[in-house]
Amino acid sequence: MASAFLLDMSRCIGCEACVVACKAGNELPTGRQYIELIEQTSGTFPNLTGGFRNHRCYHCADATCVAVCPTGALFKEDGLTRLDRDACSGCGYCVQSCPYGVPKMSDGRSSKCDACASNVGAGGSPWCVTTCPGKALEYGDRDEILAEANKRVAALKDRYPKAQVYGETQASGLGLILVLPDDAETLNIPADPPPTPEVATLWKDWVQPLSMGSTAVAVAGLGVLGVIARKNHLAEVKEIEGKQEASVSSGSAEGGHNDA
Amino acid sequence: MPESNSEQTILRYRRRQRIIHAVMAGSFLILLFTGLALVWSPLAFIAAGGWSRYLHRIAAIGFMSVPILYIVLDRPGAKEIVTESFKYDSDDVAWFKSFYRYVFGRTANMPPQGRLNAGQKLHHSAVIIFSASIVATGIVMWVFKSSLSATALSWTAMVHDLSMLALALLLVGHVYFTYVYKAWSSMATGYVPKEDMELEHSKWVEELEHESMKSPST
Repeated sequence: MASAFLLDMSRCIGCEACVVACKAGNELPTGRQYIELIEQTSGTFPNLTGGFRNHRCYHCADATCVAVCPTGALFKEDGLTRLDRDACSGCGYCVQSCPYGVPKMSDGRSSKCDACASNVGAGGSPWCVTTCPGKALEYGDRDEILAEANKRVAALKDRYPKAQVYGETQASGLGLILVLPDDAETLNIPADPPPTPEVATLWKDWVQPLSMGSTAVAVAGLGVLGVIARKNHLAEVKEIEGKQEASVSSGSAEGGHNDA
Repeated sequence: MPESNSEQTILRYRRRQRIIHAVMAGSFLILLFTGLALVWSPLAFIAAGGWSRYLHRIAAIGFMSVPILYIVLDRPGAKEIVTESFKYDSDDVAWFKSFYRYVFGRTANMPPQGRLNAGQKLHHSAVIIFSASIVATGIVMWVFKSSLSATALSWTAMVHDLSMLALALLLVGHVYFTYVYKAWSSMATGYVPKEDMELEHSKWVEELEHESMKSPST
Protein backbone atom coordinates (compact mmCIF):
# COMPACT_ATOMS: atom_id res chain seq x y z
CA MET A 1 0.00 0.00 0.00
CA ALA A 2 1.39 3.36 -1.01
CA SER A 3 0.93 6.27 1.36
CA ALA A 4 0.81 9.92 0.42
CA PHE A 5 0.39 13.45 1.74
CA LEU A 6 -2.26 15.85 0.56
CA LEU A 7 -1.20 19.48 0.45
CA ASP A 8 -4.07 21.77 -0.43
CA MET A 9 -2.59 25.12 -1.39
CA SER A 10 -6.05 26.69 -1.54
CA ARG A 11 -6.36 26.10 2.18
CA CYS A 12 -2.76 26.74 3.25
CA ILE A 13 -2.66 30.10 5.06
CA GLY A 14 1.12 30.20 5.43
CA CYS A 15 1.03 30.12 9.21
CA GLU A 16 4.18 27.97 9.32
CA ALA A 17 2.72 25.75 12.04
CA CYS A 18 3.82 22.76 9.95
CA VAL A 19 7.36 24.14 9.74
CA VAL A 20 7.54 24.53 13.51
CA ALA A 21 5.84 21.21 14.30
CA CYS A 22 8.20 19.40 11.90
CA LYS A 23 11.26 21.00 13.44
CA ALA A 24 10.11 20.39 17.00
CA GLY A 25 8.70 16.91 16.45
CA ASN A 26 11.75 15.66 14.57
CA GLU A 27 14.06 17.52 16.99
CA LEU A 28 15.89 19.20 14.14
CA PRO A 29 18.84 21.38 15.16
CA THR A 30 19.11 25.08 14.33
CA GLY A 31 19.54 25.66 10.62
CA ARG A 32 17.95 22.39 9.58
CA GLN A 33 14.35 22.07 8.43
CA TYR A 34 12.35 19.84 6.15
CA ILE A 35 9.63 22.33 5.23
CA GLU A 36 10.14 25.89 3.99
CA LEU A 37 7.62 28.53 3.05
CA ILE A 38 9.03 30.39 0.10
CA GLU A 39 7.42 33.66 -0.92
CA GLN A 40 6.54 33.93 -4.59
CA THR A 41 5.51 36.87 -6.72
CA SER A 42 3.95 36.35 -10.13
CA GLY A 43 2.80 38.67 -12.92
CA THR A 44 4.31 41.97 -14.05
CA PHE A 45 4.11 45.30 -12.29
CA PRO A 46 1.60 46.70 -11.43
CA ASN A 47 -0.42 43.47 -11.81
CA LEU A 48 1.47 41.42 -9.26
CA THR A 49 0.16 38.53 -7.26
CA GLY A 50 1.82 37.50 -4.03
CA GLY A 51 1.84 34.01 -2.68
CA PHE A 52 4.02 31.34 -1.19
CA ARG A 53 5.15 27.83 -1.87
CA ASN A 54 5.06 25.16 0.80
CA HIS A 55 8.38 23.62 -0.17
CA ARG A 56 9.05 20.06 0.98
CA CYS A 57 9.90 16.63 -0.40
CA TYR A 58 7.60 15.53 -3.21
CA HIS A 59 8.31 11.82 -2.59
CA CYS A 60 8.58 11.00 -6.32
CA ALA A 61 7.89 7.40 -7.34
CA ASP A 62 10.63 7.85 -9.94
CA ALA A 63 13.00 9.46 -7.45
CA THR A 64 16.24 10.70 -9.01
CA CYS A 65 17.73 11.24 -5.56
CA VAL A 66 17.28 7.53 -4.79
CA ALA A 67 18.72 6.56 -8.17
CA VAL A 68 21.91 8.58 -7.68
CA CYS A 69 22.44 7.87 -3.97
CA PRO A 70 25.56 5.66 -3.96
CA THR A 71 25.20 4.33 -0.40
CA GLY A 72 21.48 3.53 -0.44
CA ALA A 73 20.84 6.09 2.30
CA LEU A 74 17.86 7.29 0.26
CA PHE A 75 15.33 4.60 -0.49
CA LYS A 76 11.67 4.07 -1.29
CA GLU A 77 9.24 2.63 1.25
CA ASP A 78 5.42 2.68 1.19
CA GLY A 79 5.58 5.00 -1.81
CA LEU A 80 7.57 7.54 0.19
CA THR A 81 11.21 8.53 -0.02
CA ARG A 82 13.04 7.77 3.21
CA LEU A 83 16.48 8.91 4.29
CA ASP A 84 18.77 6.94 6.57
CA ARG A 85 21.19 9.69 7.58
CA ASP A 86 23.57 7.21 9.23
CA ALA A 87 24.19 5.62 5.83
CA CYS A 88 24.67 8.98 4.06
CA SER A 89 28.24 9.81 3.01
CA GLY A 90 27.41 13.43 2.21
CA CYS A 91 28.35 13.13 -1.47
CA GLY A 92 25.65 15.68 -2.34
CA TYR A 93 24.52 13.89 -5.51
CA CYS A 94 20.89 14.03 -4.33
CA VAL A 95 21.13 17.77 -3.74
CA GLN A 96 22.48 18.14 -7.25
CA SER A 97 19.95 15.86 -8.94
CA CYS A 98 16.56 16.55 -7.35
CA PRO A 99 14.31 18.22 -9.96
CA TYR A 100 12.53 20.08 -7.14
CA GLY A 101 15.69 21.22 -5.36
CA VAL A 102 14.59 19.64 -2.07
CA PRO A 103 17.51 17.88 -0.27
CA LYS A 104 19.96 20.16 1.52
CA MET A 105 23.28 19.40 3.14
CA SER A 106 23.34 19.69 6.90
CA ASP A 107 26.25 18.68 9.15
CA GLY A 108 27.91 16.97 6.20
CA ARG A 109 24.93 14.78 5.37
CA SER A 110 21.80 15.05 3.26
CA SER A 111 18.69 16.36 4.95
CA LYS A 112 15.09 16.05 3.82
CA CYS A 113 11.62 14.99 4.98
CA ASP A 114 11.36 11.25 5.58
CA ALA A 115 7.58 11.44 6.15
CA CYS A 116 8.08 11.05 9.92
CA ALA A 117 8.95 7.38 9.45
CA SER A 118 9.44 6.71 13.17
CA ASN A 119 6.29 8.59 14.19
CA VAL A 120 4.10 6.93 11.57
CA GLY A 121 5.68 3.55 12.28
CA ALA A 122 4.58 3.93 15.91
CA GLY A 123 1.00 4.52 14.81
CA GLY A 124 1.02 8.33 14.72
CA SER A 125 0.75 10.85 11.89
CA PRO A 126 3.38 13.11 10.39
CA TRP A 127 3.92 16.16 12.66
CA CYS A 128 2.99 18.67 9.97
CA VAL A 129 -0.36 16.96 9.32
CA THR A 130 -1.23 16.74 13.01
CA THR A 131 -0.59 20.45 13.48
CA CYS A 132 -2.10 22.04 10.36
CA PRO A 133 -4.98 24.29 11.55
CA GLY A 134 -6.54 24.77 8.09
CA LYS A 135 -6.82 21.07 7.16
CA ALA A 136 -4.56 21.85 4.23
CA LEU A 137 -2.52 18.76 5.06
CA GLU A 138 -3.74 15.18 5.16
CA TYR A 139 -1.92 11.86 5.20
CA GLY A 140 -3.12 8.39 4.27
CA ASP A 141 -3.57 5.83 1.55
CA ARG A 142 -2.52 7.35 -1.77
CA ASP A 143 -5.69 6.34 -3.63
CA GLU A 144 -7.87 7.91 -0.95
CA ILE A 145 -5.68 11.03 -0.90
CA LEU A 146 -6.02 11.30 -4.68
CA ALA A 147 -9.80 10.93 -4.47
CA GLU A 148 -9.91 13.66 -1.81
CA ALA A 149 -7.70 15.92 -3.94
CA ASN A 150 -9.96 15.50 -6.96
CA LYS A 151 -13.01 16.25 -4.84
CA ARG A 152 -11.42 19.44 -3.53
CA VAL A 153 -10.36 20.55 -7.01
CA ALA A 154 -13.90 20.00 -8.31
CA ALA A 155 -15.17 22.23 -5.51
CA LEU A 156 -12.62 24.91 -6.38
CA LYS A 157 -13.26 25.07 -10.12
CA ASP A 158 -15.94 27.80 -9.91
CA ARG A 159 -13.65 30.15 -8.03
CA TYR A 160 -10.34 29.01 -9.54
CA PRO A 161 -10.87 27.73 -13.10
CA LYS A 162 -7.25 26.61 -13.35
CA ALA A 163 -7.43 24.56 -10.15
CA GLN A 164 -5.78 21.19 -10.57
CA VAL A 165 -4.38 18.12 -8.89
CA TYR A 166 -0.60 17.96 -9.11
CA GLY A 167 1.30 14.75 -8.49
CA GLU A 168 -0.89 12.06 -9.95
CA THR A 169 1.43 11.45 -12.89
CA GLN A 170 4.46 13.69 -12.34
CA ALA A 171 7.69 11.75 -11.69
CA SER A 172 5.63 8.55 -12.16
CA GLY A 173 3.34 9.63 -9.32
CA LEU A 174 4.22 11.71 -6.29
CA GLY A 175 3.78 10.86 -2.64
CA LEU A 176 2.82 14.49 -2.11
CA ILE A 177 -0.43 15.27 -3.90
CA LEU A 178 -1.01 18.98 -4.28
CA VAL A 179 -4.25 20.82 -4.79
CA LEU A 180 -3.24 23.91 -6.73
CA PRO A 181 -5.58 26.84 -7.43
CA ASP A 182 -3.44 27.83 -10.43
CA ASP A 183 -0.86 26.42 -12.82
CA ALA A 184 2.13 24.78 -11.13
CA GLU A 185 4.56 27.20 -12.80
CA THR A 186 3.03 30.16 -10.94
CA LEU A 187 4.51 28.62 -7.78
CA ASN A 188 7.79 27.78 -9.56
CA ILE A 189 6.94 24.09 -9.48
CA PRO A 190 7.94 22.30 -12.72
CA ALA A 191 4.81 21.19 -14.60
CA ASP A 192 6.57 18.02 -15.69
CA PRO A 193 9.85 17.29 -13.90
CA PRO A 194 12.46 15.41 -15.95
CA PRO A 195 12.54 11.63 -15.41
CA THR A 196 15.46 9.93 -13.73
CA PRO A 197 18.24 9.61 -16.33
CA GLU A 198 18.71 6.01 -17.44
CA VAL A 199 22.44 6.37 -16.91
CA ALA A 200 21.83 6.98 -13.18
CA THR A 201 20.08 3.62 -12.92
CA LEU A 202 22.80 1.94 -14.95
CA TRP A 203 25.47 3.43 -12.67
CA LYS A 204 23.73 2.64 -9.40
CA ASP A 205 22.20 -0.77 -10.18
CA TRP A 206 24.91 -2.24 -12.40
CA VAL A 207 28.23 -0.42 -12.35
CA GLN A 208 28.50 0.02 -8.57
CA PRO A 209 27.67 -3.59 -7.62
CA LEU A 210 29.90 -4.81 -10.46
CA SER A 211 32.78 -2.64 -9.23
CA MET A 212 32.52 -3.77 -5.62
CA GLY A 213 31.81 -7.41 -6.51
CA SER A 214 34.51 -7.88 -9.12
CA THR A 215 37.16 -6.23 -6.93
CA ALA A 216 36.21 -8.45 -3.99
CA VAL A 217 36.24 -11.56 -6.21
CA ALA A 218 39.61 -10.55 -7.69
CA VAL A 219 41.13 -10.05 -4.23
CA ALA A 220 39.77 -13.34 -2.91
CA GLY A 221 40.55 -15.34 -6.07
CA LEU A 222 44.06 -14.03 -6.58
CA GLY A 223 44.72 -14.28 -2.85
CA VAL A 224 44.23 -18.04 -3.05
CA LEU A 225 45.85 -18.42 -6.46
CA GLY A 226 48.82 -16.34 -5.28
CA VAL A 227 49.81 -18.95 -2.72
CA ILE A 228 49.73 -21.69 -5.37
CA ALA A 229 51.49 -19.60 -8.02
CA ARG A 230 54.26 -18.54 -5.65
CA LYS A 231 54.88 -22.15 -4.69
CA ASN A 232 55.06 -23.04 -8.41
CA HIS A 233 57.50 -20.23 -9.04
CA LEU A 234 59.76 -21.12 -6.11
CA ALA A 235 59.76 -24.76 -7.22
CA GLU A 236 60.59 -23.69 -10.74
CA VAL A 237 63.49 -21.52 -9.56
CA LYS A 238 64.80 -24.36 -7.39
CA GLU A 239 64.63 -26.74 -10.35
CA ILE A 240 66.52 -24.32 -12.57
CA GLU A 241 69.13 -23.75 -9.87
CA GLY A 242 69.49 -27.52 -9.47
CA LYS A 243 70.03 -27.93 -13.20
CA GLN A 244 72.57 -25.10 -13.24
CA GLU A 245 74.48 -26.57 -10.30
CA ALA A 246 74.45 -29.97 -11.97
CA SER A 247 75.75 -28.49 -15.19
CA VAL A 248 78.48 -26.53 -13.31
CA SER A 249 79.59 -29.64 -11.42
CA SER A 250 79.52 -31.81 -14.57
CA GLY A 251 81.51 -29.05 -16.32
CA SER A 252 84.07 -29.11 -13.51
CA ALA A 253 84.21 -32.89 -13.63
CA GLU A 254 84.74 -32.80 -17.38
CA GLY A 255 87.37 -30.11 -16.92
CA GLY A 256 89.07 -32.24 -14.26
CA HIS A 257 89.05 -35.25 -16.55
CA ASN A 258 90.53 -33.24 -19.42
CA ASP A 259 93.15 -31.80 -17.14
CA ALA A 260 94.00 -35.21 -16.07
CA MET B 1 85.07 -21.01 -6.82
CA PRO B 2 82.87 -19.28 -9.40
CA GLU B 3 80.63 -16.48 -8.10
CA SER B 4 77.05 -17.66 -7.79
CA ASN B 5 74.51 -15.85 -9.97
CA SER B 6 72.18 -15.55 -7.02
CA GLU B 7 74.58 -13.14 -5.34
CA GLN B 8 74.50 -10.76 -8.30
CA THR B 9 71.94 -7.97 -8.45
CA ILE B 10 70.89 -5.50 -11.12
CA LEU B 11 69.61 -1.97 -10.58
CA ARG B 12 66.04 -2.10 -11.92
CA TYR B 13 64.56 1.17 -10.64
CA ARG B 14 66.54 4.29 -9.81
CA ARG B 15 65.92 6.21 -6.57
CA ARG B 16 63.88 8.92 -8.28
CA GLN B 17 61.71 6.35 -10.02
CA ARG B 18 61.07 4.69 -6.67
CA ILE B 19 60.10 8.03 -5.10
CA ILE B 20 57.64 8.70 -7.95
CA HIS B 21 56.22 5.19 -7.57
CA ALA B 22 55.81 5.77 -3.80
CA VAL B 23 53.96 9.06 -4.41
CA MET B 24 51.67 7.39 -6.91
CA ALA B 25 51.02 4.32 -4.75
CA GLY B 26 50.46 6.36 -1.57
CA SER B 27 48.11 8.87 -3.17
CA PHE B 28 46.25 6.11 -5.03
CA LEU B 29 45.60 4.09 -1.88
CA ILE B 30 44.29 7.19 -0.08
CA LEU B 31 42.07 7.97 -3.08
CA LEU B 32 40.78 4.40 -3.16
CA PHE B 33 39.93 4.35 0.55
CA THR B 34 38.41 7.85 0.73
CA GLY B 35 36.53 7.23 -2.53
CA LEU B 36 35.15 3.97 -1.17
CA ALA B 37 33.91 5.86 1.90
CA LEU B 38 31.76 8.01 -0.41
CA VAL B 39 29.97 5.10 -2.04
CA TRP B 40 29.95 2.29 0.54
CA SER B 41 27.58 2.82 3.47
CA PRO B 42 29.66 1.00 6.15
CA LEU B 43 32.39 3.61 5.59
CA ALA B 44 30.00 6.53 5.02
CA PHE B 45 30.62 7.93 8.51
CA ILE B 46 34.20 8.74 7.49
CA ALA B 47 33.06 10.78 4.50
CA ALA B 48 30.03 12.37 6.13
CA GLY B 49 32.13 14.47 8.48
CA GLY B 50 33.86 15.94 5.46
CA TRP B 51 37.50 15.31 6.36
CA SER B 52 37.91 12.31 4.08
CA ARG B 53 36.64 14.37 1.18
CA TYR B 54 39.37 16.96 1.85
CA LEU B 55 41.88 14.14 2.10
CA HIS B 56 40.55 12.79 -1.23
CA ARG B 57 41.31 16.12 -2.86
CA ILE B 58 44.75 16.45 -1.29
CA ALA B 59 45.61 12.93 -2.47
CA ALA B 60 44.20 13.80 -5.91
CA ILE B 61 46.72 16.63 -6.16
CA GLY B 62 49.47 14.13 -5.28
CA PHE B 63 48.18 11.67 -7.88
CA MET B 64 47.91 14.34 -10.58
CA SER B 65 51.44 15.54 -9.82
CA VAL B 66 52.94 12.14 -10.76
CA PRO B 67 53.48 12.86 -14.48
CA ILE B 68 54.87 16.30 -13.64
CA LEU B 69 57.18 14.79 -11.01
CA TYR B 70 58.31 12.18 -13.52
CA ILE B 71 59.14 14.80 -16.12
CA VAL B 72 60.94 17.02 -13.58
CA LEU B 73 62.86 14.29 -11.75
CA ASP B 74 63.47 11.76 -14.50
CA ARG B 75 62.66 13.00 -17.98
CA PRO B 76 64.41 10.14 -19.85
CA GLY B 77 62.69 7.63 -17.55
CA ALA B 78 59.29 9.19 -18.22
CA LYS B 79 59.85 9.05 -21.97
CA GLU B 80 61.12 5.49 -21.74
CA ILE B 81 58.17 4.15 -19.75
CA VAL B 82 55.58 5.77 -22.04
CA THR B 83 57.19 4.67 -25.29
CA GLU B 84 57.98 1.16 -24.04
CA SER B 85 54.47 0.65 -22.64
CA PHE B 86 52.77 1.25 -25.97
CA LYS B 87 55.23 -0.73 -28.13
CA TYR B 88 54.73 -4.48 -28.52
CA ASP B 89 56.84 -6.91 -30.57
CA SER B 90 56.27 -10.51 -31.70
CA ASP B 91 57.79 -11.84 -28.45
CA ASP B 92 55.19 -9.83 -26.54
CA VAL B 93 52.38 -11.33 -28.59
CA ALA B 94 53.80 -14.82 -27.98
CA TRP B 95 54.13 -13.97 -24.27
CA PHE B 96 50.44 -13.04 -24.09
CA LYS B 97 49.57 -16.40 -25.64
CA SER B 98 51.37 -18.11 -22.74
CA PHE B 99 50.12 -15.63 -20.15
CA TYR B 100 48.18 -18.26 -18.20
CA ARG B 101 51.50 -19.96 -17.37
CA TYR B 102 52.87 -16.71 -16.02
CA VAL B 103 49.75 -16.32 -13.87
CA PHE B 104 50.43 -19.72 -12.34
CA GLY B 105 54.00 -18.76 -11.45
CA ARG B 106 55.76 -20.44 -14.33
CA THR B 107 58.21 -18.34 -16.33
CA ALA B 108 60.52 -20.99 -17.71
CA ASN B 109 60.16 -21.30 -21.50
CA MET B 110 58.15 -18.09 -21.72
CA PRO B 111 59.13 -16.00 -24.77
CA PRO B 112 62.11 -13.72 -23.97
CA GLN B 113 61.19 -10.30 -22.62
CA GLY B 114 62.84 -6.90 -22.44
CA ARG B 115 63.00 -4.53 -19.46
CA LEU B 116 59.20 -4.67 -19.25
CA ASN B 117 57.39 -7.87 -20.01
CA ALA B 118 54.26 -7.70 -22.15
CA GLY B 119 52.01 -7.84 -19.08
CA GLN B 120 53.84 -4.93 -17.47
CA LYS B 121 53.52 -2.96 -20.70
CA LEU B 122 49.79 -3.59 -20.77
CA HIS B 123 49.56 -2.71 -17.07
CA HIS B 124 51.42 0.57 -17.58
CA SER B 125 49.45 1.58 -20.67
CA ALA B 126 46.15 0.77 -18.92
CA VAL B 127 47.24 2.73 -15.85
CA ILE B 128 48.07 5.73 -18.05
CA ILE B 129 44.71 5.58 -19.88
CA PHE B 130 42.51 5.00 -16.82
CA SER B 131 44.45 7.54 -14.75
CA ALA B 132 43.74 10.12 -17.44
CA SER B 133 40.01 9.32 -17.42
CA ILE B 134 39.76 9.27 -13.62
CA VAL B 135 41.61 12.58 -13.35
CA ALA B 136 39.45 14.20 -16.06
CA THR B 137 36.16 13.10 -14.48
CA GLY B 138 37.46 13.89 -11.00
CA ILE B 139 38.28 17.46 -12.04
CA VAL B 140 34.82 17.84 -13.59
CA MET B 141 33.14 16.71 -10.34
CA TRP B 142 35.48 18.82 -8.20
CA VAL B 143 35.14 22.05 -10.14
CA PHE B 144 31.84 21.86 -12.01
CA LYS B 145 29.66 19.61 -9.81
CA SER B 146 27.23 22.36 -8.87
CA SER B 147 26.49 23.14 -12.51
CA LEU B 148 26.05 19.55 -13.72
CA SER B 149 22.64 18.15 -14.63
CA ALA B 150 21.55 14.82 -13.12
CA THR B 151 22.42 13.12 -16.41
CA ALA B 152 25.86 14.74 -16.70
CA LEU B 153 26.60 14.01 -13.05
CA SER B 154 25.61 10.36 -13.45
CA TRP B 155 27.77 9.95 -16.56
CA THR B 156 30.75 11.62 -14.92
CA ALA B 157 30.42 9.62 -11.70
CA MET B 158 29.97 6.39 -13.65
CA VAL B 159 33.08 6.91 -15.78
CA HIS B 160 34.97 7.89 -12.60
CA ASP B 161 33.81 4.69 -10.88
CA LEU B 162 34.59 2.50 -13.89
CA SER B 163 38.07 4.01 -14.15
CA MET B 164 38.61 3.29 -10.48
CA LEU B 165 37.36 -0.25 -10.97
CA ALA B 166 39.93 -0.76 -13.72
CA LEU B 167 42.72 0.79 -11.63
CA ALA B 168 41.73 -1.22 -8.55
CA LEU B 169 41.79 -4.47 -10.56
CA LEU B 170 45.15 -3.48 -12.03
CA LEU B 171 46.40 -2.86 -8.49
CA VAL B 172 45.20 -6.29 -7.36
CA GLY B 173 47.04 -7.87 -10.30
CA HIS B 174 50.12 -5.74 -9.60
CA VAL B 175 50.25 -6.85 -5.96
CA TYR B 176 49.63 -10.45 -7.04
CA PHE B 177 52.57 -10.60 -9.44
CA THR B 178 54.79 -8.71 -7.00
CA TYR B 179 54.10 -11.41 -4.43
CA VAL B 180 54.35 -14.40 -6.76
CA TYR B 181 57.62 -13.24 -8.34
CA LYS B 182 59.16 -11.77 -5.14
CA ALA B 183 59.48 -8.42 -6.88
CA TRP B 184 59.17 -6.21 -3.79
CA SER B 185 62.90 -5.42 -3.71
CA SER B 186 62.70 -3.70 -7.09
CA MET B 187 60.76 -0.83 -5.52
CA ALA B 188 62.18 -1.13 -1.98
CA THR B 189 65.90 -1.05 -2.78
CA GLY B 190 65.82 -0.76 -6.56
CA TYR B 191 67.95 -3.90 -6.96
CA VAL B 192 66.77 -7.32 -8.09
CA PRO B 193 68.60 -10.65 -8.37
CA LYS B 194 70.22 -11.03 -11.77
CA GLU B 195 69.11 -14.64 -11.81
CA ASP B 196 65.45 -13.59 -11.68
CA MET B 197 65.97 -11.12 -14.48
CA GLU B 198 67.64 -13.75 -16.65
CA LEU B 199 64.57 -15.87 -16.21
CA GLU B 200 61.93 -13.18 -16.70
CA HIS B 201 63.64 -10.40 -18.71
CA SER B 202 66.41 -12.16 -20.62
CA LYS B 203 66.45 -9.68 -23.51
CA TRP B 204 66.98 -6.83 -21.05
CA VAL B 205 69.88 -8.63 -19.32
CA GLU B 206 71.48 -9.27 -22.71
CA GLU B 207 71.03 -5.61 -23.55
CA LEU B 208 72.68 -4.55 -20.30
CA GLU B 209 75.58 -6.94 -20.85
CA HIS B 210 75.97 -5.69 -24.40
CA GLU B 211 76.06 -2.11 -23.16
CA SER B 212 78.57 -2.91 -20.43
CA MET B 213 80.79 -4.59 -23.02
CA LYS B 214 80.60 -1.49 -25.19
CA SER B 215 81.56 0.76 -22.25
CA PRO B 216 83.49 -1.45 -19.82
CA SER B 217 84.53 1.56 -17.69
CA THR B 218 80.95 2.04 -16.53
